[in-house]
Parts: sequence; C-alpha cells; structure tokens
Amino acid sequence: MTNFNPTILAFCCNWCSYAGADLAGVSRLQMPPNVHVIRVMCSASVKPEYVLKAISQGVDGVLVLGCHIGDCHYMTGNHRTAKRMPLVQKVLKEVGIDERRLRLDWVSASEGEKFQNVVIEFVDEVTKLGPNPMRGVKF
Amino acid sequence: MLVKLAFEERGADHLLIMREEHGNVAPAMISKGESADGVRLDIPYQLVTILENIYPWLSKGKIAIITRRCDEKALAELVKRKYVDEKRIVKIGLACSEEQIKKCRCNDPVPSNVAVGEPHEGMKDDELALALSKMSHEDRFNFWVDQYKKCNKCFGCTLNCPVCFCDDDCVLEDRTFVAEPNVPPGLSFHMIRSFHMIDKCIECGECERACPAEIPLLTMRKLLAKDMKEVLGFSPGDEMTVSPLNTSLEGEQLEDECDEC
Amino acid sequence: MPRIGVFICHCGNNIASTVGIEKLVEFAKALPSVVVAEHNLYSCSEEGLSSIRKSAEENKLDRIVVAACTPRTHEPLFRKTCEMAGINKYLFEFVSIREHCSWIHIKDGDAATDKAKKLVAMGVAKAALLEPQRETESNVTPTAVVIGGGLTGLTAAASLVAQGINTHLIEREGTLGGILKDIDIIGPEFKKTKELSDQLIKELKDSSKAHIHMNSKVTSSSGFIGNFELTVESKDKSEKIPAGAIILATGARELVPAGEYGCGSVPGVMTQLEFEKLLAKGEVPKRAVFIQCVGSRQSGREYCSRVCCNTSLKNALRIITALPDASVSIIHRDIMSYGTTSEHIYREASEKGVRFLRYSLERPATITRKQNGLVVKVFDETIDENINIDTDVVVLATPMVPREDSRDVGRLLKVPVDKYGFFLEAHVKLRPVEFSTDGVFICGSARWPSSLSECISQGMAAAAKASIPIRKGKVVVEAITSWADPDKCAACGSCVTSCPYEAIEIAEEEGKRCAKVNETLCKGCGACVAACPNDAMQQRGFTTRQLGAMIDALVKNALGET
Repeated sequence: MTNFNPTILAFCCNWCSYAGADLAGVSRLQMPPNVHVIRVMCSASVKPEYVLKAISQGVDGVLVLGCHIGDCHYMTGNHRTAKRMPLVQKVLKEVGIDERRLRLDWVSASEGEKFQNVVIEFVDEVTKLGPNPMRGVKF
Repeated sequence: MLVKLAFEERGADHLLIMREEHGNVAPAMISKGESADGVRLDIPYQLVTILENIYPWLSKGKIAIITRRCDEKALAELVKRKYVDEKRIVKIGLACSEEQIKKCRCNDPVPSNVAVGEPHEGMKDDELALALSKMSHEDRFNFWVDQYKKCNKCFGCTLNCPVCFCDDDCVLEDRTFVAEPNVPPGLSFHMIRSFHMIDKCIECGECERACPAEIPLLTMRKLLAKDMKEVLGFSPGDEMTVSPLNTSLEGEQLEDECDEC
Repeated sequence: MPRIGVFICHCGNNIASTVGIEKLVEFAKALPSVVVAEHNLYSCSEEGLSSIRKSAEENKLDRIVVAACTPRTHEPLFRKTCEMAGINKYLFEFVSIREHCSWIHIKDGDAATDKAKKLVAMGVAKAALLEPQRETESNVTPTAVVIGGGLTGLTAAASLVAQGINTHLIEREGTLGGILKDIDIIGPEFKKTKELSDQLIKELKDSSKAHIHMNSKVTSSSGFIGNFELTVESKDKSEKIPAGAIILATGARELVPAGEYGCGSVPGVMTQLEFEKLLAKGEVPKRAVFIQCVGSRQSGREYCSRVCCNTSLKNALRIITALPDASVSIIHRDIMSYGTTSEHIYREASEKGVRFLRYSLERPATITRKQNGLVVKVFDETIDENINIDTDVVVLATPMVPREDSRDVGRLLKVPVDKYGFFLEAHVKLRPVEFSTDGVFICGSARWPSSLSECISQGMAAAAKASIPIRKGKVVVEAITSWADPDKCAACGSCVTSCPYEAIEIAEEEGKRCAKVNETLCKGCGACVAACPNDAMQQRGFTTRQLGAMIDALVKNALGET
C-alpha cells in the first residue's frame, strides 16, 4: 500500500479540540494533510450516523475530538460522546470494518502538541490499515 | 381457557393473539364477548408491534396480550418511553417451545409468569454469531457485504420491530444518511439500524423472520447485544433503566412510580 | 437557488506562501451554488471587508463563505460585514485554511492546496443549506463578582465601583492584599506596599456599591453571561449571588523549592518572600547572594517568571543602600530587566557594587555551611572558573506558580487552564483579559506571572471589559439552539435524557406528544441531536442536512464518488 493517502474526517468541538487545533496551527506544528475538520459546538453533538455514513461512503478514518472528561464546556456533554463512540466501534467491528478507523480522543484548548500527535498517529495507523474496504464495494 | 383467563380472571376488554382464519394465520384482536376460535399459540409474531400501532385508537379499556419473554421486554421498552400505560396492559405469559427456542437461538425464553406453555431452558450461543466472532475482519466483511447486498429495502425489519418506533419518519429513508438512491442500500443503512437497535433490541427475531432475503439479522442483533452488555453493562428490556447512551457517566435511574411497595 | 460568494484570503504571506490562491479561486468558482469567487490580501482589513460588501451587492449574493484564519477570532467581524451588506449574519460560513492548512503543511504546498479545496467545498456545501436566524435577547444582572482580593482583584473591584457597578469581592483569607501582604517595599519607585493596597481598600470600603466577603470561597457556579449564579460560602453562612459578569483574579504563589539548595533545612537559605520579611524587620545582611531561576527555565517548568530578576535587583539595591559596604552578588542565567526603569536599576546596582555572575543550568551552584555563614560555590560561565562566595544569606529567586486549586477553580467556572495550571485567555492578543466563555474575565498572575504594574493594568482592563455587558443591560443569545420537528418527533425521550441542562421536556400539544426545547436554558451543545434516532431534533447552524452535505462534499472531492 505504498502510495495510499488516507482521507480522514475529524469532528472538533469549538471550545477545546478546535481551539487546540488552532493552537497547533499558530505554533506551526507540522502534520500530514489528510485530516479535514468539521467544527461542532460539542463532541456530544457528533451523531453516530455521521461516522457510519462517512465510513460507508469510503472515508478511511474518522476522528472525534472533544474536551477532557470534567472539562466539557457544556458540563457533561462529552460523557455521552465517551459512551457512544466505543459502541460505534463495535458496530464497525461486527460488520468486519476495523474499529480502529474510528478514534475518540480528548484535546484541550491548550494542547496544540497533543492535537499534532493525535493527527500524526492516526494518519499513520489508518495508512497501515489500508484503504476503507468499502471503496472496493459497489452496492 | 385463554379467553376465560383474559376476560374473566384478568379483567381485560380486548385480547391480542394470533388467529387462523381460512387457512391463514394473522394477528387479531378479540374483544370481550367475541368468539375465540382458531387461536394459534405456536406461530411466533411480535404482537407488541401490533399493540403499539393500534394503541392510539384504543382509548379505553384493558388490553390483554400474549407475551413471551421477548414481548415482555419489548413492552418494558415501550412503557419506559410512556408509549403505553402499563396499568392498561394484561400480560398473558407464554413459554416458548423447544423448537421455537432453537429457531430464535434464544437465551432468555421464560416470561416472568407463565400462563401458557411449558418453560424450557434457553440456548447459550448462536452458532453463526460464534463463527463470525472467530473470523478475520476481512472474512466477516465479505460475509456481511454478501448478505446485505440482498437487501431490497422492503423495511420489513423496521416495520415489524416492536422497538423501532419512528414509523413514518425513519432516517433510513433519507438520502442524508443513506446515500444510495436505489436498492440495495449501502452499508450505512444496516450500520445505522444496528446502532439504533443497540440499546433497544430485545432479540425477538421478528426482523429475521420478516426479511424476504433471509439475511441473518437476528445474529447481528445478538452480536451487538453482547457488545453492549460488555461495554456499558446494559441490556434492553428493563423498565427502570434508561439507556446509558444518553446519560452522563454517573448514569440515571427512572423514578420508581409504582405505588404498591 | 442560493447565491454564494467565496472569498479566499491571502493573509499576507501566511496562507498565500503555501496554498495556491489562484487555483483555489478557480476551484471555488466551479462549486455548486457559487456565483463568484474572489481573493483578498487581508480579508479582515477595511479594504478586504469593503470589497466583500461590494461584491455581495454587485453579485446579489445571499450567502458568504470566507476562507481564512479561524472563526474563533474572526467570525464576529465577518458576520457584521454580512449584516452591513444586507445579508443575515447567520448566512455566513468560515473555512479555516490557515491554522488548519497553510500553517501546518508548510513543506507541501500541493497537498495544502488540495486540502484547502476540499475544505472550501465542505464550507460551500454547508453554506448552501444555511438558514437565516433571529437572535433572542436576555437581561443582564447588573452585578459583577471579583474572585480574589489581591492587588489585581482590588484594582478591578475599585474600577467597577467607580463606574457605579454593584460589585462583590470574594476573598479566601481574613485580610485583603494577597501577595502584597508579604512584600514591604515595591520597586521601581521603592514605595511602601501598604500605600498601594490601603488606597484601594479605602475606595472599596467607602463605596456603597462594594460588598466584600472575607474568609469566603465560591463553591458553585451556574448560568451564562448576564445570568450567572454563584454560591459563596464562608464559615457560618452560604449565599447565592446572581451576577452578570465574573472576574477571576486569584493570583499565583511563590514556588517553595522542596529541599533544593537546602531551603528549609539550612539556616540562611530562603525564598525571596521570606527575605522580604527580614528586610521589613530591618535585618539587613552584610553579605547576600541571590540565585536566580531556581526552579524555572528548566525541564518541567520552561517559562521565565518575569518578575524575579527585578525583585532581586530591588532587594539588592535595598541592601547596598542601607549598607554601602555590603557584599551582594546575583548569580543568574540571564538578567530580565526589560523596559526603561528596570534597566536603569540594573545599571545602578552594578555601579553600586552588586556583583553579577552567570551560571548554567548544567552546573548549578552548591551551598555549604561554614563556621560563620555559608559558602556558595558556583562555576562562572563568563570567566570559566569556579568561584566561592562567602555569605550570610542565600536568597532563592523562585518563579510564581499557579495556586494548587487553580484547576478546581477552572472546572468550577468552566474555564481552561494551560499545562502549568495558569488560566488560558481567549486569545493572547485579541482578547487578553477574557475567557472564551463569555462573561468570565481573567487578570493578573492567575493568568501569567505579572509585575505589580501589569496586575494593575490588567485589573483595570478586565473591569472595563466586564462593565460592557452590564452597561448594555442585555445579552444577545447566539442562534445555535436546538428544536424538535413535531412532524418527525416520536417523543421517545432520548433528547430529554441527553441534555446536560435539562432544557428539553416532552410536552403534549393538540393531543400529540412532542419534545420541546426551552430556548432560554438551551446552550446550543447539540447533545440532543446526536441522541435523536429519527432526525427530529436539529441544531440551528449545525443541522444534519448541513453536516451531511459537508461529508458528501469531502467524499466527492477526495474520493471522486458520492
């Protein structure tokens, strides 16, 4: 899989992870160009349907980034995210799609470096997983 | 005997059962005083789905319903969401036959009280589920793609499902989440249904029985029920516990509104 | 059919040096519903903004997409521009191609341009589906709360009451003044600290608008800008205080080095604040060595605490002024005495005989006891030799560090802290005394080790900012709340459970049960949207159609399929 460049979708929450991504940008922390961010107000608003839709349509990896537990701008919003995403991973796993194509992580507004690390690690992991198997399938 | 139990002993005004007429078996509602010929207790069907659909038109009276263990759990999910008033429902417990238990690969076949039938033990495993868990991701993927390619969006699974309550407005009909305009719909159709069912499905198997393409839908439901139990320690079918998917990490219990104890 | 205008920003060289602007403009022109695509050198400049307005008018645009820096700082500016062009401000979409693209893919211009295309396509797809929104207003409680009664808090509170604003000052200790209580004389004017704090305390006590709570702590906080409710507890009572704005001025503390350099065990070795106490008592040592950067500018605490060098210079001068024959040395890793007055004091100290010696992190000083005092042994980096200095007193200039409970306070007020525990402002240049959370403000050393004059300026700045919503009397609630479509809603209650603010209930209207969102309680998090199985629950500005369209746009432009 030498020239495989994964297409990755990321959901970032306005108060923490999006701000962390901004800080990474301001600090000029370099990372691979595979990640495309959709801004949401809270990671709790990331519908599992979005993740499943994206994967079904061929996106190679999905990142859901929220505030650390206890630091959510909306108090316990991210608690819901914390519980939903592992189950979305199970849905992927049971249908035979590697659950590592979905990653949930917590990035605070001051963690520019963490954002960079998560992006680099995830792009690397998804590259190793290869293209989304849905890409070869025509329904 | 069933009629006597429902109308005289338990005070119901209507009874939901499966009835044979002119050689066909279908759900029927018998009201007090009507004849109860042709009742078939051996044909499985989700009467709770029927109950849910006609409930808005039954503004008065008590409704008796044949409930297997799965029906009981389905009812609990409806009661939890205030779709039916528990006080108006009379459950007539039916213990499934060994043959039926095998067909459903049921691991929880005995209702809380048995009025009809002999209780039997449940099965431990669904063989297909076991085989799938041992497969590699790739093999499993190929299996399910082959299965799901047969789907022709008849919506038999959703329409017959007792806990699928969105009725006319199912998101699976929407291009927003299921991009494919034709049949078969893509994987998102089945994955989204799987996720929606993960905190509601009571493993009655009606979806699998309804599917004209014979896709092993119940097996997928069982695999995810196991995952849900493992990850969040939750199994649907309990009136008192709210789905943990929407609660904070400390969880939430419904208030005990029972006046009796 | 929507008429979208796309405006790509060069941001000088910041975007243009990596992303191919012309290619991006050509690409944007061809996107569905895009009527015009242009580029500007600095979209946020007066020139850029007026060119956007002009284009909107000429091309009869009804939606604007700007591809530039970040919405977190510039969205309000462009929204205003939309309004001035007669376009509802919610018909605006911001695409980040700087922080999220040009700045992080510097070496790969082709890939960055490619990615920028996809991001713009996603933004356009969303913009096409945006709906105009109306904002609602809520009243502001005309009261401010200042947490912390040190110099910063006192200054902020005094500024607020001077404007006639009802202000509550919450102080943990039994006396006001914070760290000022431990300092006797302050530089560079060599004034008595008491003069500073006494003046402020008098202003507050004389004002009927100031309410001072001593020995008190904030134990809970809820609400939002204009409508906060704080619970303040002291030993024998608990009070609920409604507030329109909150100023955090909890300060910092001096790091007491654990056992380093013999601090705490070897007599004569002490921190700067401990030394201040000695000087206040008139106990001027004949010999003193100041060691700078003890516990700062090293692994684990990389920052410079900014005030320690000036403090040491001040105290060194105090010694040498009192005892002209005193032997005073300052061993340092750099002297930070920036500005006019501080540099002047550095020069003066040097001229009066204070010795300056450079040491390195790799070869720190050691302190040993001698018969009549201490010996400081250090390797002088300038002359490359080991030096022994006999002394009576060793003063360790340690950095200011956050208070131990700063993270707890942060959680209480839902404001972020950085990796050290200092509070994080909304934007270091554009919003230095504000938090991202509207209505909560930060000033003084709680944010970053600050000199007393900086604390004063920041306290005044925070008070000025806090007074704005209070003076306006009304706050506009952003139109990003959620609502349930009654035609779709199955009244399952999933949204009710998922709302962190209990803002949703199942209500019965005309015989049909349906979820209903209380707009004043809804904070716009969208948790309910994710909980809803049949797409009945939607969030304004983030509808499922809009986000679904963004995903489709990514798939189309990245994978070439739909």
